[in-house]
Amino acid sequence: MIRIAAVGDVHMDEDVVGRFRPALDELPDCADALLLAGDLTRHGTESEARCVAREFGNLGVPVITVLGNHEHQCDEVPQLVKVLEDVGITVLEGTGMVLECAGGRLGVAGVKGFGGGFAGRCASDFGEPEMKSFVQTTKDSADALGRALRGLECDVLVALTHYSPVPDTLAGEPLEIYPFLGCYQLGQAIDSAPTALALHGHAHHGSERGTTPGGVRVRNVAHPVIKQAYSVFHLGDQLDRAQVSRI
Amino acid sequence: MTEQHGDAPPDEYVEAEIQRLLAEDPAIAEQGITVVRLERGLVLYGEVESPHRREEILRRVAERFPDVPITSDIGVIRTQAPTQVEELP
Repeated sequence: MIRIAAVGDVHMDEDVVGRFRPALDELPDCADALLLAGDLTRHGTESEARCVAREFGNLGVPVITVLGNHEHQCDEVPQLVKVLEDVGITVLEGTGMVLECAGGRLGVAGVKGFGGGFAGRCASDFGEPEMKSFVQTTKDSADALGRALRGLECDVLVALTHYSPVPDTLAGEPLEIYPFLGCYQLGQAIDSAPTALALHGHAHHGSERGTTPGGVRVRNVAHPVIKQAYSVFHLGDQLDRAQVSRI
Repeated sequence: MTEQHGDAPPDEYVEAEIQRLLAEDPAIAEQGITVVRLERGLVLYGEVESPHRREEILRRVAERFPDVPITSDIGVIRTQAPTQVEELP
């Protein structure tokens, strides 16, 4: 079994440093890794990244993140990524990694993602250059996630995004803003690989549980949704059973 | 017109401006606050990461729209460790 802790949308700045830490100190006892679903900061500044590094660095378990839209606000993404990487936090963007855990190999592929909307109610690659550029960003992001997911060899595969791959976990948000909260192409990418779980944030008024059309479980781990420092998921129970049968 | 006159209820344009202020004002930068228009004034609800941010939202909105009665129902999100695990077979 592999134990995954996850949270998104923690929006760190000086006024939040220390709030998560008591709960994070318990992580080595309950999780093999912590996945962060983007929007780590308020404006994406280097100084806010240092707050993230203080709060989420050196936890005793690997920390993997994607960036959110807030990380792009001040155009300091390279500096922000460096601050996070300097404390050992892995930042995924169309990339993936495999962790050797006691319960098996955990593969995580991640991308920020983008909006665009869901089947039958989505933006099209048509008309003005601005609209084509918008939809191209959606497609490029989803394509990168699909490639990263399909490229990993592991026992349990997890997709990590900021934007939502399904409308299910947006329930609670106004319908009119769904196209700004996610896109079906991310779900399609997740379904193109043997993904066991998809985690995302971004939708503060959304709901926790959903499923892609291909049957992959989706969880919205935005902090305002889960209302706790992080959620913990146990995956790959069948790996333990296989171990028993081999013995 | 975005200004309030007398006892007139806040209109849609005021609601839109406040919603944009919440996201675009660097002192706020919140996209998760909902603005609800009532007959007399507005209610802001949602959750933020610190008491300071809740106070700052009210301060900035009141500063920009001094004639609009604002009620806040904004909470601070809890950060306790989880007490339950979700088993995903």
